[in-house]
Amino acid sequence: MKPVTDSPLWTREIESIDAETTQALAARIAGALGPGDLILLSGELGAGKTTFTQGLGEGLGVRGGIISPTFVLARVHPALADGPDLVHVDAYRLGSSGEIDDIDLEATMPTSVTVIEWGRGKAEHLADSYLEIHLLRATGDDEAGEEIIIDFEETDEDDPRVLRISGYGPRWADPALLGL
Amino acid sequence: MSAAPLILGIESSCDETGVGIVRGTELLANTVSTSMEQHVRFGGVIPEIAARAHLETMIPTLQQALDTAGVSLDDVDALAVTSGPGLSGALMVGVAAAKALAAATGKPLYAINHLVAHVGVGVLDGGELPENLGALLVSGGHTEILKVNELTSDVELLGQTIDDAAGEAYDKVARLLGLGYPGGPAVDRIAKEGNPKAIRFPRGLTMPKFVGTADAPGKHRYDFSFSGLKTAVARSVEQYQAKGLEVPVADIAASFQEAVVDVVTKKAVMACTEHGLTSLLLGGGVAANSRLRELLAARCASAGITLRVPKPSLCTDNGAMIAALASQVVSAGVAPTGLGFATDPGQPVTQISLTA
Repeated sequence: MKPVTDSPLWTREIESIDAETTQALAARIAGALGPGDLILLSGELGAGKTTFTQGLGEGLGVRGGIISPTFVLARVHPALADGPDLVHVDAYRLGSSGEIDDIDLEATMPTSVTVIEWGRGKAEHLADSYLEIHLLRATGDDEAGEEIIIDFEETDEDDPRVLRISGYGPRWADPALLGL
Repeated sequence: MSAAPLILGIESSCDETGVGIVRGTELLANTVSTSMEQHVRFGGVIPEIAARAHLETMIPTLQQALDTAGVSLDDVDALAVTSGPGLSGALMVGVAAAKALAAATGKPLYAINHLVAHVGVGVLDGGELPENLGALLVSGGHTEILKVNELTSDVELLGQTIDDAAGEAYDKVARLLGLGYPGGPAVDRIAKEGNPKAIRFPRGLTMPKFVGTADAPGKHRYDFSFSGLKTAVARSVEQYQAKGLEVPVADIAASFQEAVVDVVTKKAVMACTEHGLTSLLLGGGVAANSRLRELLAARCASAGITLRVPKPSLCTDNGAMIAALASQVVSAGVAPTGLGFATDPGQPVTQISLTA
């Protein structure tokens, strides 16, 4: 299946002040999701893709322990009650859409919400509609001109992100579906 | 069955095909074939490639282990295999092989927990395990602190990573620094040329709100997080690149490694101290990391904890560890699992051997 259009029907940006807020937003988005839905998560290393997925899993009510899938490529989190399973995929190490097909997501998609980190450019063909969620954090480039930072110690300071959400295909024609 | 059972163990949870043979606590053979080279171009293990490699190497590895031990399948008292945790497709090959052997020979089969086997392997190097034992397991897929109440029946998970495993953070940082795969040895090597204090990288989940106190522990007192550390390394590299400066690769590698090793050793020692654990066993592939061994040895010594590190060939994934734990399970009188079990990629440490 090929998406109806390669450009989004709509795009919304939401600011999040910290990881908890990002997870709460993800949990709300989960409320609008059902079996067969596909989400492509993008953003730099450390942008909060796994953090977002933890919130999504919380909202869907699936078995916890959502950690980075980089090592195993894909992990299934079964639903704890009625509702879809969550399939959490990391496509970072996969080179092409052909390698995405090798991990056989089509077997689980009809009964699951499938979230693919780094799926942009590799996984659009899996469904005719999908959401893309791009997480943006401050990068080292933004610090150009200032002193070189050598202290990155864990602090209580907020670590803000911007979530750029785009809808593709007929399923997501109406952004109000997300209830954000 | 004699007092010391002869056990053949099969391991296939990741990219190592291992067949080990032990008699009680005596190691007779530890044959390992790895598909690591085939994963290099992907920057990490690809489960389907690993599974295919297990298929190809299983029989030759088995044959070589039997030859090395000088025993035949007929001599074996029981068979054992990793049922989980691990990569689903990879686990299936070992389990299918073990079930086939059990069906063909009529020998009892035990389904064994991979993580607890990393602890059980200790009996092969230094004899019986001490009481009040803790374990720190660090590898590409795992970062855990365990409390071993009774090796064959009662193991508790005290802490684990909430995002990336330590070895995975090494792989990602190695990629950011252009050091290649696998990241652990590459970072360890170049870190020796750098200053571990050049950059202060975050020690994940060490703030009071996560750690709490011994009496009122925080939610993540013994847990790890390496995601923020990875982000900080990315930001560090980016700012040099944005300014057109040379990236101080050795200093970043050394400072990153120090952050990982500092928090891992500190939390492991804290967990031991607060749970009355007087010995600590280190296992997993990252146990080979020179800085981890050095700092853990120093901190255990200061805290009065006896550190035990099995030799490297027993720390990385292997079949002897499965046989070693199974041997203890058999001696404890636990019933075999039989053939009616499935792989469990997320098998918890509380399931040491599966019950039929």
